[in-house]
This record gives sequence, C-alpha cells and structure tokens, in this order.
Amino acid sequence: MKNRLKVLRAERDWSQADLAERLAVSRQTVNSIETGKYDPSLPLALRIGKLFGQPVEQIFIDNGDGAA
Amino acid sequence: MSAKSVATPTPLLSHPLLWVGAWFVAWIGARAVLESSSGPTWARIAAALAPVPLAAVALLTIVRGARELDELEKRIQLEALAIAFVLAVLLIMTLGLMELAVTLNRDDWSYRHVWAMLPLLYFAGVVFARRRYS
Repeated sequence: MKNRLKVLRAERDWSQADLAERLAVSRQTVNSIETGKYDPSLPLALRIGKLFGQPVEQIFIDNGDGAA
Repeated sequence: MSAKSVATPTPLLSHPLLWVGAWFVAWIGARAVLESSSGPTWARIAAALAPVPLAAVALLTIVRGARELDELEKRIQLEALAIAFVLAVLLIMTLGLMELAVTLNRDDWSYRHVWAMLPLLYFAGVVFARRRYS
C-alpha cells in the first residue's frame, strides 16, 4: 500500500520523531509506514488522517499488493 | 492502542530486564547449591524452586511491557516468537531423534542445557523480524 505520509510530514517540516511523538508510536513505526514496509492498523490510520486533517483514503492508496 | 513506552520511560522496578536478570542469577545460585552440596531433600527442592518467584515477577513485567508496545513492535515480537518457537521445536525434535540414532553424552546434550538456547532463538527471531521493518 502506498501512502503520502512522507510528503504530508515534509509539508509541515516535521521530523519522523516529531510525527512519531504526535501519533504516540515509535520512530521506527513511522519510518516503516513511510517506506511501505508496514501498513498501520485502522485506529492508527484514523489518527494519522485526523492529525493531517484528511480522509484516510487520501493518505493511503491501495495498489492491490495486499502487503501487510 | 497504548504507546506508553514511547512517551514515558519504564520505572526501574517494572523493567523486565531487571527481573529476568534476577531470575538468571537465582538459577545460577540454585545450580551452584545443587551441584556443590548434598543436603536434605527438602533443602535441595527449595533450592531448585528458588528461581520460580523471580520468574513469575519477570513474566508479569514482560506481559505488562508487551501490552505497552506500539503496534509495529508488537508485530515484530510476534514474528520473533513464531520464529523462535519453530526453531525450538526443531531443536528439541532433532535432539530426540539424535538420541535414538546415537548415544549422546548427557553432559553435552542433556535437555538441561537445551532451555538455555531458547532465549538465543528468541533474540535471533527479534533480529530477523526487525530487519524486515527497518
């Protein structure tokens, strides 16, 4: 699954650590989501959407690879 | 999802490593007592059971710590345990088959020694699982 997390974070000039703190997760989690190695749970995806003020489907784009 | 571990450091007395370390020290002490003396049976049983309370506290702190991990770390830990479990079963199964095939020296190949390899398998699993997400 692709996502726009890195772009949205860069627009706000946040580091991965800044975003991790705002989402109450580890920096590794943010890094793994940004690089597409890990798809977040629904609660975390909703928190990300709320934080950036965008619907989840505009941040996470399903490319049909079914990756977890 | 809780992410307490991200926001606040774990107090020393709640840290799993402290209690796992105490458990390990108790095991070393129990083993030293049991190998160096031949006291009454009740004392030897007491020495053999001495690590149990510390293991119980270690278990509680480990479970509590696991509940406070963030979701990716929980997945890493799950994959690590899955890897370690399969490797442990393979190790014990192979050891059992080897005992049927040849006579193994109990001092080298006893099941008393196998359990000490299980934490190593867990740490190998952690390394392998963490690499996947880094």
